[in-house]
Amino acid sequence: MGEIIVSMKNICKSFPGVKALDGVDFELRSGEVLALLGENGAGKSTLMKVLSGVYTRDEGSLEIFGKEYGDLTPKQAQEAGVAIIHQELNMCKHLTVTENMFLGREKRGKVALDNSSMEKEAKEILDDLKIDISPNQIVGELPVSKQQMVEIAKALSIHAKILIMDEPTSSLTAREIEDLFRIIRKLKSEGKGIVYISHRLEELQHIVDRVTIMRDGQYITTMNFKDTTMDQIIAHMVGREIKEKFPRVECEKGKKIFEVRNLNAGRMVRDINFSAYEGEIVGFAGLMGAGRTETTRAIFGVDPKESGEIYVDGREVKITCPMDAIKSGVVLAPEDRKKDGLCTKLSIRHNLALPNLDIVCNKLGVVSSKTEEKLCEKAVEDLKIKTPNVEIDSGNLSGGNQQKVVVGKWLARDSRVVIFDEPTRGIDVGAKVEIYHLMNDLKKQGIAVVFVSSEMPEVMGIADRIIVMCDGRITGEVMARETTQNEILTLATTFEDKKIGKSEGGNEEHE
Amino acid sequence: MSNEKQSSLRKIMAIRGMGAAITAFIGLIVIYVAFGLINPAVFSGQNIMNLLRSMSKYLLIGIAQSYILITGNIDLSIGSMVGMSAMVAATLMSRGVNPVIAIVVALACCLVCGVVNGFLVGKFKLPPFIATLGTMFITRGVAYMVNSNRNTDAIATGIGKEAGDSFQNIFYYGTTFGVYNTFWIALIFFIIFFFLLSKTRTGRHIYAIGSNIDAAKLSGVNVVATTTKAYLVSAVCSCVVGLILCAQAGMGNMEAGNMYEMYGVAAGVIGGVSPLGGTGLLLGTFAGAAVWQTLENGLNMIGAQVGIQRVVIGVIVVAAVLLDVVVRGGQFKKKKGN
Repeated sequence: MGEIIVSMKNICKSFPGVKALDGVDFELRSGEVLALLGENGAGKSTLMKVLSGVYTRDEGSLEIFGKEYGDLTPKQAQEAGVAIIHQELNMCKHLTVTENMFLGREKRGKVALDNSSMEKEAKEILDDLKIDISPNQIVGELPVSKQQMVEIAKALSIHAKILIMDEPTSSLTAREIEDLFRIIRKLKSEGKGIVYISHRLEELQHIVDRVTIMRDGQYITTMNFKDTTMDQIIAHMVGREIKEKFPRVECEKGKKIFEVRNLNAGRMVRDINFSAYEGEIVGFAGLMGAGRTETTRAIFGVDPKESGEIYVDGREVKITCPMDAIKSGVVLAPEDRKKDGLCTKLSIRHNLALPNLDIVCNKLGVVSSKTEEKLCEKAVEDLKIKTPNVEIDSGNLSGGNQQKVVVGKWLARDSRVVIFDEPTRGIDVGAKVEIYHLMNDLKKQGIAVVFVSSEMPEVMGIADRIIVMCDGRITGEVMARETTQNEILTLATTFEDKKIGKSEGGNEEHE
Repeated sequence: MSNEKQSSLRKIMAIRGMGAAITAFIGLIVIYVAFGLINPAVFSGQNIMNLLRSMSKYLLIGIAQSYILITGNIDLSIGSMVGMSAMVAATLMSRGVNPVIAIVVALACCLVCGVVNGFLVGKFKLPPFIATLGTMFITRGVAYMVNSNRNTDAIATGIGKEAGDSFQNIFYYGTTFGVYNTFWIALIFFIIFFFLLSKTRTGRHIYAIGSNIDAAKLSGVNVVATTTKAYLVSAVCSCVVGLILCAQAGMGNMEAGNMYEMYGVAAGVIGGVSPLGGTGLLLGTFAGAAVWQTLENGLNMIGAQVGIQRVVIGVIVVAAVLLDVVVRGGQFKKKKGN
């Protein structure tokens, strides 16, 4: 293990009303991958923003490569070799790969910009990382995974020696994650120090050397990854033993509630047939881009269907727009909370009432605040939404609580089928368990739950029956308790014969 | 060889915004020929000359607004700056001040407005619609005040007939190589600002802050400076248009340039400049300004009334954007999320 390249001691940082960091110690060595772990709100991102100069600390000392820094500016941090790759990608989507890589430090020729030399340098860096992207590509046209690679390439082009990656894998497919890990291992072997923030604990074993755990703005511990167990890590993160990572409830399987027959909608939804029964959770597994999100969107009436019938409680329902779906008792908690699930600038109250305005309004269309109040109170109580009141902007809630609001929108109605699309993405272990409990509650009430997830362990742990998709088709159906990860993975990679006029690129399509 | 040609052609077509710009040029030709078939006088040499001269104002205004639109902002003060420039220059000249000094003073006034716009939007983060709405009223007010709420006398009464004529000739009535000077002036500015936008660091930063201001900031782009530069370009163009209007009338009109900021939006948008920022080429703006002027000119030539002209132009603006959204699934579509 290399020498210490970053040393932060007793870092404190307060925001109005919150002590975000309270005496945190942090060390990073060269040639290692350090996982920085903690629940949402533990202060990981704040700490990293202090290290990259975005925030100035209130107290504590900070050394990078043995040099003490007072008030670190982003520019100084960059010069010292610190680069941060943000969770929400920060690229100018209209510009090309080269333009993004050299943004802010363009090379000039005698009069105009020296495009060819910038392109050449960009290509060298991309080639060096074995990333197959043309430097002339417009970034917005690349899949998310490739955009992330471009961010890494950009960091390397400014000679970063300390790389901070915030949830880098949250939107990547298994294959892309493998690519990313290859690059991380390469950087590590070159002696760079990497800070890796992730909620996907399973993937740590592939790359991580040490873990540092934070909780509620405080430093908890640092351990060698080899000398610890996953349970220990989780116990440190949540401050209590989580007995069951995947709580399962047993229910009697009842009558068929929901059936989809011969659903077709574009290339990513082809001939989908499945049904869901009372008292069971149907999981949808598959790689990113397998067509699961598209399927849920087609069912819910967001995207147009080419053909297909949908039955709820044995009656055929026509769904051409989301309102049809809601009226027939089919609701969707979409994949991207912030984009599709919530109006982040509106209060919790307004969000909860939005799809229920027909209930909370009187005949003249005037909102009855009393009914609305009741509806909100019930949702907050039932779902244990942690908030001082319902007037708070939903965008200010933590990821887990946001997800609860999304679900809360639907609980006031007598929904028959609730579709969850990646409900646990980017939220912490404790909140995940709460979401699982929520699904279990719905299951107990006799509501059909459809649970789409890319994280294999949770699908296997929570769902009763798992439907696997690949490339827009259902490739298999297994019982959760009788299957193995390998079986699911095999099904998830059962591509159709590629010769049927389909290009390689088509399979990597992003959602 | 032909392969090489093909790849360079493809390279040109791959430039973002090129598709929209070319569509606008094709639209321009179609419109022009259509009017010409109805009234052959549209094709006459004199008409082409007039067309080039009158499109020059829209070209300059279009450049001004396009720069701002590409940064993802808007400049509502353009028309007022045109009026202020015309009034300041005319007032000074009608009182005998040397034209060069008058021009410099007018330019200085506009640049001050540009800096204020840039700081309000870039540094103090005011919504550009509000910030420039404010400066729009203020600059128009200044235009009224410089000559005590009256239009100016003829500039020739101050600087004499000879100097007055030469000012008018340089900016409006004179020709060089058989084309009105107005067009040459616009063309020179077009080339300068085209270069600035597509080949320099500043240009790159203008696209970047329009595309993703946070990413630009984190990459070390100086957002305040870049925004201000864009508003300064807008101010310079507006000032020149003011001088052209002053030369055309031979005096200063307090209402000069009224509504020009919206003509600028129209020229940019017809040429494929996205009002949401990040994309657009000045080549498109050129085509957009030409389309705009050809329409006005052609409708005049076939005897359409002013009301009809406005309706047609409105339809064209919406149709251009609709075409982009529907056919190309395009850049005008509102950004999702965030």
